[in-house]
This record gives sequence, C-alpha cells and structure tokens, in this order.
Amino acid sequence: MTYNHESGIPPSPRQIRLTYDPNDPYTKNRHNPPVGGSQAGKKPAPPTTSENVVRLEKIVINSMIKEALTNRSNLLGLIAAFRAISGDTEGGGGRPSSDGVQIVKGKKNVGGWMRPGLPVGAKVELKGPKMYDFLSTLVEFVLPRIREFPGIVMPPASSTMKSPSGVAGVVSFGLPPEAMGYFPQIEVNLDSYPKSYGMHIHFVTNAVGLGAQNRARALVSGFQIPFTRK
Amino acid sequence: MFSRTVLSSCKRASKACLFRRLATEASAAPEVAQVDAALSKKTTRPNLHTGVILNRSPIITRTPTAFEKAYYAYQSRIHRALHNPFPYDFYFKQGSPLEARFDIEERRRERKAFGAPFGMQTGETSEAEKLAEATMRDEEEAMPRVHEADINSDFKNLHRRGQRNLYLLLQKQENGMAVWKFPQGSVDRGELLHHAATRGLEVECGNNMDTWIVSRNPIGVFHPPSPASRGGAEEDVVFFYKAHIMAGQVRPNRTHAQDFAWLTKGEIKTRVDEDYWLGIKDMLSDF
Repeated sequence: MTYNHESGIPPSPRQIRLTYDPNDPYTKNRHNPPVGGSQAGKKPAPPTTSENVVRLEKIVINSMIKEALTNRSNLLGLIAAFRAISGDTEGGGGRPSSDGVQIVKGKKNVGGWMRPGLPVGAKVELKGPKMYDFLSTLVEFVLPRIREFPGIVMPPASSTMKSPSGVAGVVSFGLPPEAMGYFPQIEVNLDSYPKSYGMHIHFVTNAVGLGAQNRARALVSGFQIPFTRK
Repeated sequence: MFSRTVLSSCKRASKACLFRRLATEASAAPEVAQVDAALSKKTTRPNLHTGVILNRSPIITRTPTAFEKAYYAYQSRIHRALHNPFPYDFYFKQGSPLEARFDIEERRRERKAFGAPFGMQTGETSEAEKLAEATMRDEEEAMPRVHEADINSDFKNLHRRGQRNLYLLLQKQENGMAVWKFPQGSVDRGELLHHAATRGLEVECGNNMDTWIVSRNPIGVFHPPSPASRGGAEEDVVFFYKAHIMAGQVRPNRTHAQDFAWLTKGEIKTRVDEDYWLGIKDMLSDF
C-alpha cells in the first residue's frame, strides 16, 4: 500500500555543499550542516528491516483549558478525567516507566494571555499494554458513538508529503467534548465531573523518512480506526 | 547464436560494433531467422488470469499458550498488589447496587489472582449484595470458543475455526479430474487486473457476499504448467489478489465449480495439487 516502486538504478544522491568551509581553520570545528535546511523530507525512507517495522510507540493525549489561565483549579476536572481514561498514575502498578497525568505549562510570553510557567493544560503518555487498552476502548466504545464521525481527516491527495508532519510518523486527531462521556470509565459517574473536555490524541510511531505519516496511517487503520479525505 | 567468424573478427569490439555488423549482414539468413524467432517468441502475450484469495479473518482471539497464561497471570498479580488505592467514593454511592456488584466481582478477581484466603467475604451479605448476586446468576454465560461447525466438520460454515484465517477453495473439473483451486477468472482485453479479479469472483461465487479486494496490486503470481496440446508457445499467468469477506456466503456457479470449502492453510495443503501448493503456500497466513 505504501510501497512506491522505482525501477532501474536510483540516481546517486545530490552532494549538497556544507555551510562553512571545512578546511578554513576558523570554521573547522564548527557544527557544519549542509545548506538548504532539514533534509528530513528530501531523502527517501530507509529500507525496511526487521528492527525497522512500523510500530505504535506511544499514544499522547493532551488538552488545553482556556479557563485555567484565570484559575488553575479549573484543571482538576481534566486531570481526574485523564486519570480515569488512561488508568495511569506516576509509577503506578509498579511500573517505573509510567509518568501519569502531567500538567502542561506555558513556555512563551504571548501578550495578553500566556506567560511561561502558567499551567494551562494536561497530557498523558500511554505506552505498552495500557496503550492498547486505551486504543481498544476508543475503537469499541467512543468512536462508534460520536455523531457522524467520518474518520480521521487526511489532507487532499495533491498536498505534498514533504512537510514536517508528513515526515514524522505521527497521526493526530481530536475528540469533541461530548466524546468524553462515551468512555465507560467516565460514563459511569459523568455527573462527578464539572465539565466535559475535548482532547487531542496523537499516535506516535517509529516510522521515519519520506512518507512516514502514510505508513503510520496504514498502521493505525489496521487498528480499525477509519480515515477519510476532506 | 552468432557465427564464430563474427565474434572472432571483433573480439574487443563494443556492443554497437556487433549490432552494426548484424545490421550490415542482414543477408546472413540463419542468424537473422534465429533472432527473429527469439524476438517473436518474446512478443506473444501470455494469457492473463486473476485469482482471488478470499480470506475470512479470525473472529475470536487466539488461545494463549501455557507460558503466555502464566506470564499474564503473574503480571496481573503484580499490578493488583501494587496499584494505587481505588477511589470507591468517587465512583460509587455508599450502599448502591452498583457498589455491591463491584464488590462481588472484585472479591472473585482477588480469589482468582491470589487464592483462597484472599477475597473471602468479611461480615455478612447485605441486601444490596444479595440482589446483585441474584441478577448475576440470571445473566447469560459467554459463548463457547468451539462452534458446532467444528464439531460437525462443516467446511462450508463461516463460523468454523474461529481463531484461524480461513481461505475459500473451489472444486473445479479440469481434464475430467476434480481439483481444488482458488477462484480464478480470465482477464478481458483492456480490463484492469483488479477489476477482472472482482468480476471473476462474482462470476464464480455469486454476488451474495460482502467482499473487499485489498489493493489494486496483486500479492502473488503463479505460472501453471501449460498443457501439451497448446504447445510451449502459449503461456498462462495467474495474478492473485487478496480479498476479505465481511458477510454473506458463497453460492458457487455450477458451470465453474461443483463444491466449495472454507479451509485453513494446513487443510488446503491436503486438498490441493503439489505444484499448485508450492506456488500459493507463501501467500497464506500461517495461523
């Protein structure tokens, strides 16, 4: 599906000049990348080996709450919801690799509404068996019940695959606030939560190189998540 | 093929030189005739056919091996021993039937994980718990993993061997003998291969199935031995396409196939011819 056949001998890759002269003693030990910016989208994908097979590495769920800018206790409902959805706490179940629900803080100074260090959202990174449990809950309970869910929207076929998102092996989509009540862990006591929150879900795979997002989509569609064009 | 005189006269000659010599020596009849015959042999088109490997994917999960079971049981005991305290008050109202039911199920899970002294009831059963137990007794049990189609060896039933991948095999008459093969059809002139595959499947198996051919590209190629009556010149090529069946059942067309069966890879090996098996075995899933 994601295989593009090239017949004949592929042309040798272009020799792109380095930024600085490596022989000049003034710039000899400088970090000297080739000119033209990141080569990530221009090289073809590495050949597939047994270590290289596309795998789901982690699922990251994150959400930003605008009301938390004024009062940080507005984040508590979101943290509780993420705790219920992910079933994860820091070091819970004896697993040192689990970080649990983490609070996302602002990084930049944006005039009017953001300062560095301001808690503004929450995120969870799911790995291993918990990740697959979350994926099966999503596929069995949540997505079928969303009103007119067409699938994860893909960019039009004519768009270039060389963008930074096309070259990272990450598939992202969002859930509306109504979908939070479809998770069975939250549905059982939905009135205990002050408000329903939407969220972004990112499937992070180990696909790299040109066409990585296509391979990531092929993997995610194998988990019975539908995709659609705009 | 080329005469020795040509070769000896231009031992270190380039390829172009050889071709030029061939062009100027067009009157040398035997070499040209041979070259012509070789060229004409390559330009005859082989007869194209498309076969469809119709797959019923597994409908129940695989039975874990003894090692897998032991591993998962061990891991779940660790998690059960080390998990954070469960917030009962957040999820259940005090004395509610949902809480009673959860308590009963949780005690069962403790007993199953750690053994008898754990998960025993402390105190007496409350009213809510008695009600919950009654409702749980009335509930249905899970379906068995072995279907009646397995017991009766009903090869036409799509529910047999729920854990395995099943493939559709048709019994056809070839030269008076009954052979088992995948559904196969020929390709019309100018027709795309994957369209031919869909058409061939519908012709041979009827349109009472919800099938999906996975890709425009075939997953395998097979060269059946051409019968001696047609001579060695004509060649048959079969391109196989992977398809999945989601619903429905096969209704075989009597003129093309007499019988059909949904078989696992091992069962296909017992029914199919030797050289056909060697050609198709690598396209099928082992489990």
